[in-house]
Amino acid sequence: MKRANYIFLLLIAGLAAAVAVAVSVGSESVSVFAPDEQGRAILFDIRIPRVLLGACVGASLALAGASLQALLRNPLAEPYLLGVSNGAALGTLIAFVLLGDVAGARPVLAFAGAGIATFAVYQMARSKAGMNVERLVLAGVIITTFLSSIIVLLTSLLDAARLRGYTFWLLGDLSQATYNGFYMTLAAAVAGTIVLTSQARALNLMMIGERDAFDHGVEIGRVRMIIFGMASVLVGTSVAASGSVGYVGLIVPHIVRLVVGSDNRLVVPMSAFAGAIFVVLADTVARTAIAPRELPVGAITALIGAPLFIFLLRRS
Amino acid sequence: MKSDLRNSRMPSVFRVKTRQADHGDIRRPVFLVRNICAERKSRAFFDLGFGMLGLGSIEMTCCSVKRPIILLLLILAGSVLVACDRQEAELPAVAEKRVVKDDLGRAVRLPETVTRAVSLAPSITEMVFAAGAGDRLVGVTSYCDYPAAAKNIQKVGDTQSPNIEAIIAVRPQLILVSTASQLEAFATALEGQSAAVFVVDISKLDDVPDRLRRLGQIFGTGERADLAAIEIEQRIAAVERRPRPERPPRVLLQISEADLFTIGRDSFITELVERAGGASVTAEIPGGYPKLNKETALALDPEVIILSDSSDNRNPNDAMKNSSAVRSGRVYRVNADILSRPGPRLADALEQLATLFRQEPAGN
Repeated sequence: MKRANYIFLLLIAGLAAAVAVAVSVGSESVSVFAPDEQGRAILFDIRIPRVLLGACVGASLALAGASLQALLRNPLAEPYLLGVSNGAALGTLIAFVLLGDVAGARPVLAFAGAGIATFAVYQMARSKAGMNVERLVLAGVIITTFLSSIIVLLTSLLDAARLRGYTFWLLGDLSQATYNGFYMTLAAAVAGTIVLTSQARALNLMMIGERDAFDHGVEIGRVRMIIFGMASVLVGTSVAASGSVGYVGLIVPHIVRLVVGSDNRLVVPMSAFAGAIFVVLADTVARTAIAPRELPVGAITALIGAPLFIFLLRRS
Repeated sequence: MKSDLRNSRMPSVFRVKTRQADHGDIRRPVFLVRNICAERKSRAFFDLGFGMLGLGSIEMTCCSVKRPIILLLLILAGSVLVACDRQEAELPAVAEKRVVKDDLGRAVRLPETVTRAVSLAPSITEMVFAAGAGDRLVGVTSYCDYPAAAKNIQKVGDTQSPNIEAIIAVRPQLILVSTASQLEAFATALEGQSAAVFVVDISKLDDVPDRLRRLGQIFGTGERADLAAIEIEQRIAAVERRPRPERPPRVLLQISEADLFTIGRDSFITELVERAGGASVTAEIPGGYPKLNKETALALDPEVIILSDSSDNRNPNDAMKNSSAVRSGRVYRVNADILSRPGPRLADALEQLATLFRQEPAGN
């Protein structure tokens, strides 16, 4: 456990460093230590909420990915690839269209969408013989494409001007960050870290096999409900705040496992920190690469994430 | 085509197309949620999922990208052939042809008199009406709502996705395409068929009177087109004779509020703002319609904010809440259609902007 403590310290220091770097660079150069009035506005109204939101979104998605991978015993289980993000995106779109700016409508419907998508994928993947990897992957493909087609249908039918903001956002975009969005995702990420880490022992046993876990007194149904529910909350809040940022939930837990092994008591909380670092840095690139224009952060995470994942896949 | 997003360093998985907005020719980078998202996710899944299962992903992904295009081309080719057969039967011996150059420099063969034309952009529809040939239009897009008479013309799809069957059904001799719509592939598909495809590119204010005259030549309404062109030239000259503010106000033209799309170096609106006596604060940013970073928007501190009026663009972005423009109340909405369609109503936009730029701050 001693090594694990060092890694934890390293991750916390890494997150602090990433936040420090992200806060000190941007499309405008601002003196962080002695900002003038305009500099203060840039730092406190725009840059800091965005960096903090990015950290929480990264933590949430990585937590959801790590716990879903353990629960489903599937390295591909990731909110984005399983259609959970798409469910949340559709929920947000529906809230956007029907309820407009009603406070709280988007995260709530995003959570509902994520939950329904998770449940649907799980039901489709289940068979009498238990879960198998192929069925889960196929169920994810089907749910993802089905939800995408509904999103396409809705966006085609609706007033294009109203949906313009939505479309950029769907690629994963942190530019509309607010403190409210940050508080919401922070609450979800903290709750997620605590709740999911508390289930880590059960997840460890379930990774050996559900029967073994049952023999060790794990209430499998209850654990499953907690993980699915918490993952839906995490994905719902982060998608409502920043769209579907892809690949975070996939590669971050994999990298953490490479370093610390597969003990979920370490993998789950460490993924939260590593995910936060990853998204904060990716968004820093998105903000500055072609400044003063912007890229969606989802493009950067996928650009880094997809090749990295293929590399990890070939290594293992 | 020059779209700012394509110029930018986007990964190819995220090939984002710019789409035309609902009401204009403006090359507004609306990210294609549609197919892109569906495709990107399912492709990602194919790549990873099936690759992992050892089903061999390469063929699948290739097919999934190419198949729709091939299919589309087949359908296009097929329907064009069918239509040609039919047309040759219905319209024997088309009169002598003449050759004109379009704005892409392509040689376009036209019949001596063009009586049936289709316009595939709202700006072109306005141009054709202004050139005195509105009665020759037999097909327009669903966005073509000006002048009022355009609403009664047969709709042949929208600007981005014209319906080729509907176009052929109205038996046009000439199809007018705007470069703003990025329909080159479509134009190529119809190339050499009985309907001529003429590409119109209006990238600056002075192109408007010039293209009006060109359309007059094409339709044989030269006199009326010339009058319309002269009127626009006089209105532009009148605006430029007006007394100017000592220093051009620094203007931010906001196209959408939340995600802060604005006008860049390649937009004709940037030129319009300058001709009207303003200085666009985003004039140096590469691309046509860049998404502006909020920090930069705040730092640019515009003195005037022009909102291209649409349902997602009612107020200045939050980042500008303490800008000179907001504090002095110099925030104005301008009809998005006249601003974003490179057509005859750019003269209206020019006049309105020139008036707004000269208005004193409310407080003084």
